[in-house]
Order: sequence, then structure tokens, then C-alpha cells
Amino acid sequence: MEEAMEPQDQVQMENIQEYLMSQLVSCEKCHLCNTDCPICDYRVTQGSFGINRAIYYGLKWNRFDTELRDLVYSCTTCGKCVATCKHVSRALPLVEIFERAREFLFVEKMIGPMPDQRPVIKNIFRKGNPWGYPPQERTKWAEGLAIPFASKERRVEVLYYVGCTSSYDPEGQKIAKSLVRVMKAAGVDFGLLEGEQSSGSEARRMGETGLFEHLAEGNMKMFEEAGAREIVTGDPHDFYSFSREYPLREKGVRVEHSTQFLKRLVEEGRLKFSTPIEKKVTYHDPCYLGRRGEVFEEPRELIRKIPGVLLVEMEKNRDQSDCCGMGGGRMWMETPKGLVSSQAIAQKRVRQALATGAEVLLTACPFCKITLTDAVKAIGAEKSIQVIDIIELAAMAL
Amino acid sequence: MTVPLEEMTRSLTAIVGPEYVRTELFERVNYADTSLPYDVEERDLPDVVVHPGSTEEVSQVLRYANQHGIPVTTYGSGTSLIFGTKPKHGGITLSTKRLTDLVIEEDYQWFESGAGVTIARVNTELEKRGYCLPINVGSRMQATIGGAVSVNTCGHLMDYIYGKPVSNVLGLEVVLPTGEIIRTGSKTIRRATGWDLARIFVGAEGILGVITRIRMAFYPKPETADTVGFFKTAEDIGRAFSVMLKKKLPPILDGEFASEKCCKVGYEAYGLDFPEGALAITQSMGRTSEEALANAREMERFFRAEGATESFVLEDPKVRAQVWGVRENAMRWGKEKGLKGYQAIEVNPPLPFLTQAITELNHITEGRDDLIGQTEAYLYGHIGASSLHCLFAFPYEWPIEKMKQVVREIWRLEKELNIKYDGVGGDWGQLPYRVPFYREKYGEVSYEIIRKMKQLFDPNNILNRGNLEGEE
Repeated sequence: MEEAMEPQDQVQMENIQEYLMSQLVSCEKCHLCNTDCPICDYRVTQGSFGINRAIYYGLKWNRFDTELRDLVYSCTTCGKCVATCKHVSRALPLVEIFERAREFLFVEKMIGPMPDQRPVIKNIFRKGNPWGYPPQERTKWAEGLAIPFASKERRVEVLYYVGCTSSYDPEGQKIAKSLVRVMKAAGVDFGLLEGEQSSGSEARRMGETGLFEHLAEGNMKMFEEAGAREIVTGDPHDFYSFSREYPLREKGVRVEHSTQFLKRLVEEGRLKFSTPIEKKVTYHDPCYLGRRGEVFEEPRELIRKIPGVLLVEMEKNRDQSDCCGMGGGRMWMETPKGLVSSQAIAQKRVRQALATGAEVLLTACPFCKITLTDAVKAIGAEKSIQVIDIIELAAMAL
Repeated sequence: MTVPLEEMTRSLTAIVGPEYVRTELFERVNYADTSLPYDVEERDLPDVVVHPGSTEEVSQVLRYANQHGIPVTTYGSGTSLIFGTKPKHGGITLSTKRLTDLVIEEDYQWFESGAGVTIARVNTELEKRGYCLPINVGSRMQATIGGAVSVNTCGHLMDYIYGKPVSNVLGLEVVLPTGEIIRTGSKTIRRATGWDLARIFVGAEGILGVITRIRMAFYPKPETADTVGFFKTAEDIGRAFSVMLKKKLPPILDGEFASEKCCKVGYEAYGLDFPEGALAITQSMGRTSEEALANAREMERFFRAEGATESFVLEDPKVRAQVWGVRENAMRWGKEKGLKGYQAIEVNPPLPFLTQAITELNHITEGRDDLIGQTEAYLYGHIGASSLHCLFAFPYEWPIEKMKQVVREIWRLEKELNIKYDGVGGDWGQLPYRVPFYREKYGEVSYEIIRKMKQLFDPNNILNRGNLEGEE
């Protein structure tokens, strides 16, 4: 990954540089992209505007160093600035710009990613998951659940792409097992991929576009061999990549987030909830499902279909929802000194949830679940609020 | 600079702590880069950015800077769309962003806040209690109350409703360039009579002292309803607004307009099927929503009587958002997207000249052989407050020297139009480029008085050095 560049890569890098300059030169410099940016604090530099200007002047003055790297990698890629810029200014695709800048720093300048992210990228490359767990243990969570592997010989109605976090992390595995229970209850013919590996979404967020493309190619091949016509995933990061960055739609493959899928099953009469859950809940929109994936209503409609549940909204909801702090590769990096930590971001979100009086903070993403759960513990609010995935709630209501 | 950087950093660190003294390149870039269409150069950067967390720390920083003759540029949030916050002589950039305490005293009917509190935060907290802040600027989400008071802007609001900050500021805490802390004004809802030093600092654009704390009156939040009027031309809108006050209609909070060219771009950008021409929007007030609606309907009748091709009250939230979108944003990301943007100006003609000024600005690029003639101009503004903006857009491929030249032409044009129409120019902190206007309009004696006041308050000329001298 650190070899000399091929001529075609050099051309690509020049294109990235040209792209970045052509976009950033038209910034109006109104600063409003910093509004509600999760990493913004008292310094202009902490936030989308500061990152944008740092990239621009870094390129212009040919100054690339760890100060620039730390700023570029501090973005959670939540997409709030993109919505703001479109609403009030020049409609710059700021997250795309930051991701391309990461690619440039990684491939051309070799100062990206963040030091903690380097082994993560190696793990994704070598083991197909960010933690470096053995690939053969990826489906261990499903042992005893009698789930078939989709293949040429065993076609399935729905291919369940579990994702790295729900395959290996105990909190994520609870979501996966819950979805399995629900799908079985609804009589869905589903299967897993025996050779499932990372979608590459996080590699791309960290600027390793080459690895993303390599993984995407491998996954596309596996999807084709398994005859996948519909892919369901509970991980919004994978959902985003599959629906926006993989050529699946062109090939007629439907991609749904698990909340969309279950909502459809209920409407089709295939899934019924018979256990009322008498709880007041609030819902945190994961950035990659909501703002970036543009799925806001289906999760809420699914929640409302569960008997007994009272859904209350946080002040910031849907496209205004605040971030949990772990997107954009921040799951695997220590926050550099002087920049806003992911824990601080998550704690802010938990406080917003507590303000609603809800006893359950629902989300629809394993990253969000892990981060928000940690934040609840950190502020000592375990007795007031519990964080679970909507899918877990759905399984309880069967 | 009289003090080596290392020594200065050490001394400042001793005052505010290491985390709040920043010397990194990209940090300094962010505090120097303003909305001028051309880039800053390395020589434009401050040497150090300081974030004091209290008035006492501000005082110590200024005392130190004054002792050593180090220039200090005050920085709120950098949203003023002009280059008042760009250091002209390096030195220290002093950010007010950590001065964030906010106290609302409902019994007294005022609030007190640190200079770094955003306008949006003040307003949100007031709205929770049924009040509103008498300032509404487009950049409210980021702009600080200290900045707004420092340039004396009420933003889009009509002056005759609440007045400008100078009418609403009840008291200030100010750190003088020499480090002394003074407190002005009163705690009653009656402004101080006679000499009130607060009035000297409001609108002084930070050349006399650093405002650290503001006590300001607030008002009951009115219910509002908006009316849109579609007119064949912007001139027709000018004719309507020039007689509106004489009709003694219920007062409006805000009156906005967008010219034919802005509307065309906006309608295309949003895919709207509105009548061709220009549009005006008014925000009517009422103690109840019924009263606001009735007043908005009166504006609808007024627009129709004054020649609007169509007019209605914006009751549908979606249509309301679209109409405001056309006025506020579309010209930035519609047709003009391929252009770098802009240099905006503000002309404030007296009501009898409103239509004439609109006519002139609406065709300002036609038949010119200077660089302005090569720009795309978009006319819009806060017509209720007789405030006309014109945004000049040009390609980003232009060389820097050409951009600098067109920007100077545009500033000269703004000066000429405000002199011609007896206007006052804008209130977004344009001091550095408005000095020639000030000298021509008010005369050398007036300018000299200000220079002497500056010398009295700031004998070593450390604060915002270069702004009163009209340096870029």
C-alpha cells in the first residue's frame, strides 16, 4: 500500500487535486457550514469550514503535514455541512471533498490515514474486517441458528449481509440475532454469504479508495454467484455503500436497510407483532441511514407499528439529527489533542435523548448503538435510558 | 514586531493556558481568510491566535500587547462577509468565542451575554420564554452578539420596529486597548441619559475597545405571517415600498425583495412555476396569529393595488420555504454556481429615491466598459429597511490582480451611489473600505475627530490596526 505510484494513479491524483481546487475555490467563506458541525467547538478550525480552508491552502501552498491530516481526518462525515451549504450557500459537496482529500493525503502524500487507522486498514485488507479477527470466525455468531449460506446451489429470497460490527462485536451480534429471529418469524427465505467480508465502506471513508474498489469487486462477484436479487443489511454504512457506491441498482439488485425491510414485511402482512412494548422511546437517526442514505421515515413507521410503543422525537431529528461521533473512520482513531472527541459528541446526543424523557434510545446502526451505550455509561445515565437497535425492539415484540 | 514569537507565545500562554494559544499554520489561515474573493497570502496571517476565557484574560492580553506595541485584531465568528477581521499587520488575533455565558433576566426585561454567544443561541433561549432578540442577520447561526453590536446591525429587520443595537444595548463591559475594564450603561429599561459611553462602542467596529459583555433589551415575540407579491419589475416593487409607510399600514417586521434576474435563477434552481418578474416578501406581525394573518392579507391587498401581478399570503410551509429560498439562496447555487461569486454592496437611498436607485442598480452592468461591465449582477435586499444589495459575480479563473481591480471598482461604485442618493452604506463591518466614503460624506473634520478618539482610547494603535486607515 505504500509502493511507488503507477502512471495512471498519478493522473488520478492530479484529477483529485484539480477536483478539490475547483470545488473549494468557489467557497463563499460564510462559515455557516460550521453550524451544528459535531466537531465544532470554540475554534473556527474545529469544523467543516476549517477543514475546507485547510485543504484549500494546503494544496495552494503545497503544505502537507500532520496538522492538515488531523483536521481532514477529524470529520465524522455526518453530512450536516452539506445540507447547510446547499440550503444557504454554494451547495458544495463537502463530505465528498473531505473524502477525496483523505485519498489524496493517503495515496499521494502518504501522510494519511491517522496512525491508529493504519493497522485497521491492514486488517480490512488481510482479514476482511477492521479488527483483524479470523475470517473463518465471521459467521460463528450464527452457529446453531440453522441459517443457510446462499450459493449457486442454494438460492435465497433475501441475502442478509451482516457487516463486520454485527459479525464480531457482541453488541452488534445481538442485532444480527434479533434480525434472524424476526425474519424467521416472518417466514423469510434468507441466507448469509459464507465468504462475507467488509464492504469497504470504512476503508473508503479513511481515504483507501483502492482497497474499497478491491473489496467491492470481490463482493459484487460473490453477490452474483449467490444469485442475490435482494440484499438486506442492518449496518447503515454498508447500506450506504451498497446503495450509493456499488453498481447494484444497475444490475437490478434491491438493497434495503433492515428497518425498511421489516416495515415492508409488516405492510405485506408477513410480519406481526403480538407482544406490546409499553415504553416511551426516542429515535436517533444514524447519519449514514438518514442524512446520507435519505431514509428517515421507514424506521419511524416501523417503530409505530410495534404495539404499546410511544415514540417521541428529540429536538434535533431527521435531517437535523446530531451525529454519534463515530463515522468517517473515527471509530478507530484517538482524537488528536485540541479536537472534539467522539465521546463528547455522543454524550451530547444522549443528553438530547434524556431531555425527551424517553426510557429507550433507539437507533438503527451498530456503531451508534455501541457509541451511545458507552456515552450513557460515561454520564451515569444507565438507570434512566437504555440504548438498543430498532431490530432488537422488533424481536421483543414478536 | 517588537517581541520574538516564542516569547510572545510564552507570555500569552501564561495568561490563557497552552490550549488557547495557537500558532499552527492552518489555525492562523482560518482567522485571516475572509470572504474577499481572492485568497489570503502568508503575510496576511496573524502570528498567533488567542482564545481568552474571561474578561480578565482579555484585559491581560491587551495590557501585554499594548506594553509591547503588538497589533491585536478582534475576531467574533468571521461571518461579516468583509475583511475587518483580517489582520493588516500580523500580531495577535483575539477570539471572543469562549466568552459564552448567557443570563436572561425576565424580571428586568434584559439579558446579559458574553460577546462570543451566537445570535441564534440568544434568540432560541429568548423564544423559549416568548421573547425575541431585536437582531436578525442572515448569518445568525454563527454570528456572535458581540460582532453584531460592534457593527451596530439589526440585520434584515426594519429599523422602525425595534431600532438598531445602539437603541437596545443597555450596557456594555469593554476592555480598553490599554487593558482597563470599564462598565457602561444602566440596569433599567430606560437608556442612560446624557453621556452614555456604551453608545461610543456600539458601531465602532472594534477600534476603541474589545466588547466582552453585553446587556440588551428584548421584546415579546410577535406572531408573524408572510405575504408574497409578484411584480413585473424590481422598479415596480420600489414604487410600492416608497409609498408603503405613507399608507400607514400595520407595521411589518421585515420587507425583502429579489429582482427579475434573481427570481429567474431561483425559479429554475427550485423548479418553480411562479409568475415571471421580481418578487417582494413581507413579514406582518400581530399579537395573535389571527391578527398577523389579517395584517398579512392587508399587505396582499396593498401589493395588488400597487400593481402586483399576483399576491398571496404564504400559508403553505412548503411554498413559504421555496419563496424564501429564491430570495435568500438560489442565486448562489443556481446559474451563478460556475462563477466564484461575488462582491456584494449595499446602497440605502431615502424613500423618494428608492425606485430610481433600484432602476440604476438593476441595469448597473449595462453599457459599462470597466470590469463591472463584465460581471453578472444580482439585485436583492431588505427593501423594507431601504437596503439594496447588489451581488456582482465573476469567474474564478480571473487572475488575482483582475479580481482585486473589480473589487475596488465595486467599492468605488458603492461609495458613489451612496453619496449620490444620500445613503449610509451597509452595517456589516465594512470600515476598512468605507473610509473614503466616510471622508467624502461627512468631511475631513469628522474623520479627524474619530482618529483623535482612536488615539485617546488606543494610544499605541494596537486594536484592529489598519482598519481606520482604510487598509485592505
